[in-house]
Amino acid sequence: MAEQYKDKKEEILKETVKMTGYEDAGFDWKSEKRVGATKFLTGLGAVAHALKMADIDVASSYPIRPYTGAMMMLSQMAARGELDVEFVHGEGEHGQLGIAHGASAAGARAFTGSSGVGVMYAMEVYSPISGGRCPVQMLIGNRTLDPPGDFGSEHTDALSTRDQCWIMGWAHTPQEAFDNTLMYYRIGEDPRVYLPQMNCQDGYFITHIPMKVVVPTQEKVDKFLPPLSFPDALDPLNPLGHGPQLFPGQGHVLEATRVNAMMGAFPVIDEVVQSFNSIFETNYSPFVDLYRCEDAEYVLFISGGHAYTAKFAINHMREKGMKIGLVRPRFIRPWATDVLADILSKFKAIGVVETNNAFGAARQAGILTLEVATTLYQIPNKPVLTAFMGGLGGEVIRLDEFYYMGDVLAKAAKEGKTERTAYWIGFHNI
Amino acid sequence: MKERYKKYIVEIPEEMSIPYAGIVESPKVNGEQPMMLTGGWRIYRPVVDHDKCVMCKSCVLACPDATVLLVDGGQKIGFNLDYCKGCGLCTWVCPVNAIDRVPEIDFEDGVPFQDALFLLPHVEALYAD
Repeated sequence: MAEQYKDKKEEILKETVKMTGYEDAGFDWKSEKRVGATKFLTGLGAVAHALKMADIDVASSYPIRPYTGAMMMLSQMAARGELDVEFVHGEGEHGQLGIAHGASAAGARAFTGSSGVGVMYAMEVYSPISGGRCPVQMLIGNRTLDPPGDFGSEHTDALSTRDQCWIMGWAHTPQEAFDNTLMYYRIGEDPRVYLPQMNCQDGYFITHIPMKVVVPTQEKVDKFLPPLSFPDALDPLNPLGHGPQLFPGQGHVLEATRVNAMMGAFPVIDEVVQSFNSIFETNYSPFVDLYRCEDAEYVLFISGGHAYTAKFAINHMREKGMKIGLVRPRFIRPWATDVLADILSKFKAIGVVETNNAFGAARQAGILTLEVATTLYQIPNKPVLTAFMGGLGGEVIRLDEFYYMGDVLAKAAKEGKTERTAYWIGFHNI
Repeated sequence: MKERYKKYIVEIPEEMSIPYAGIVESPKVNGEQPMMLTGGWRIYRPVVDHDKCVMCKSCVLACPDATVLLVDGGQKIGFNLDYCKGCGLCTWVCPVNAIDRVPEIDFEDGVPFQDALFLLPHVEALYAD
């Protein structure tokens, strides 16, 4: 199939231009019913607009691209007086997260963000924030870690922090980035949860490519997102000991309560997404976005911005008669094991498109493969599982590379096996 | 939905329950939490000069352990010496230099440096004359 498209570069280019949203692509984006001003925004612009409507109280920043765009827009809003926000510039990402932690502990709706190596530099502070149950929201514009530190998207930075008890998920369009910002605050600030959230989007592909975003009215946002009420907020007149002041032997109980908060988020996410759908007239599914999966025999499992390209590739492959679909998890933490097990058990072959690398991990693929393989463990007739290593070093995953993945999966579904646990795009023949 | 995810929730027995997120009230009265007395770590004791003090309460906010108290009906600054670790932040933030750091050994009721005996020669050398 990849062969057929070799001399059709013009058409592919045209398709790619269409994908950027300059022409109305909305084949899957059922926004016809959405009411509001349509703006042309990048992922960062969309998040900044959403933060303004969410009326955040404190923003802490430290520049690192591609996240810087959101920081710039927020500081402009603050300077123009459009947004009443305490804008604090940290001395580094570690301090930046500390500022957000303190602000949130004092009962403020806090926002922060970072990218790539900056996300790693703040590593120490993630667990205290989730342990203190502070609903900070952090924007991560994914960037490749050093080396090579490319501007483009690789998810290894954010996924490395996945076990710090932060709610985490990827947007695949600027519109979804806008909506996720509001949804995450509502989930994280729910009294049953009270956890920080990582609102991730692919560097460059989402953060810097503008697309149409429907910005709803302020009344609707206010209806959806009530002001934060945080228990035990810091107060000089009623001093509290934040940061666990416990006796030895209570540590495991504290860990158990944090687990309960994370796993207790499942019903909350369900409720919040339903509430969002009814107020903003959207049709999000809470945990998993399915695309052309009704009669699919094999699927791509893909998180993040490349899913948007993949949907076009799947349309093309469907035209050729291939029974391929796409499964996109909306949340990486909490991982919806049961929902995904139900969905994935229907297919013959699954190809996890990894835009991250887990060096030396089981199956030597990426982090998502580990999660998917564990999910499949509880299914009696397991589908064939393989991974595609693409988009590493921030590279784009082109349409012809998705066709290659389709060919590999078609063969795997037919034969019931694959030769490799991970196919490196551009390195192997089928 | 709720039923489905019940299996992931850890049931915590009543007798094992802890304060939410480990957040506890800071001690207001001496001896409130006898297992966590930290006053014994102190080498320098904060002493406030009430003539200089302008009651800006910067030290109240700065103290990481909420040991700076408002006494005499909120008219004066006092210290909860059972929990003051002697870190010196109050001295550092005071805009009028009203809080001094006095070595514990100068007090008759000074804490006996149980945890910091190795520092004694150093402290004594500092204040030899």
